[in-house]
Amino acid sequence: MFLVRQIRRIRFRYRKYCGPNNPEARGQRLLRDWLSTSQRKQFDTNKYFDVIGCNTGKTYRIYYDRVMNVCELDEAGRPKMGWCFFPKGYFVAGDVMLAQKIALETFEADALKVAERFPPSARTGQDQGRATRDARAGRP
Amino acid sequence: MSAQILMDHTGDTRHFFDADDAAALTEAEERFKRLTGRGFTAAVRTDRGEVTKVTSFDPAAEETLFFPRLVGG
Repeated sequence: MFLVRQIRRIRFRYRKYCGPNNPEARGQRLLRDWLSTSQRKQFDTNKYFDVIGCNTGKTYRIYYDRVMNVCELDEAGRPKMGWCFFPKGYFVAGDVMLAQKIALETFEADALKVAERFPPSARTGQDQGRATRDARAGRP
Repeated sequence: MSAQILMDHTGDTRHFFDADDAAALTEAEERFKRLTGRGFTAAVRTDRGEVTKVTSFDPAAEETLFFPRLVGG
């Protein structure tokens, strides 16, 4: 009886956190639904997408992450400044990215007022670290 | 069927309602006011796929998305 209960518990947790309906997957589905066609294509290819700020017309790149994942780009498309802001509470990456997209596209100035700046090199470092780990693990 | 999508730790929670049902519409409007009153941002998508922030309840909106106020970190 104990073993059956344990198996049920493990199965429940697996479905909740690892199945196709886990929070991470749901967040990604919601994000993809709300992206424009070009943003969706960019996200599917690169795990990031670009948005245009509604007040300044500046371009921001939103990376797949929960924090320190928004970079303002310069005219050449290089990261110029990092902006860290997110919805209050715990949310999966897809939800955070969607909130950031909506904020920059509809109330950019107010969103940046609460944001903390960070050097874009910090973001680049994270990406390089991830790429190295993926290469070591043989991931594409 | 219209939907109000509330971001949360599970990804999202969806509240579906029939826009032709007066009682359901009232309930949806009350939810809208309660959430925006707590500082949530409400956004809708236009037919062309553009996203707009809304400050009042739109009974014609097919999907309204809510997320809490933004903070810096």
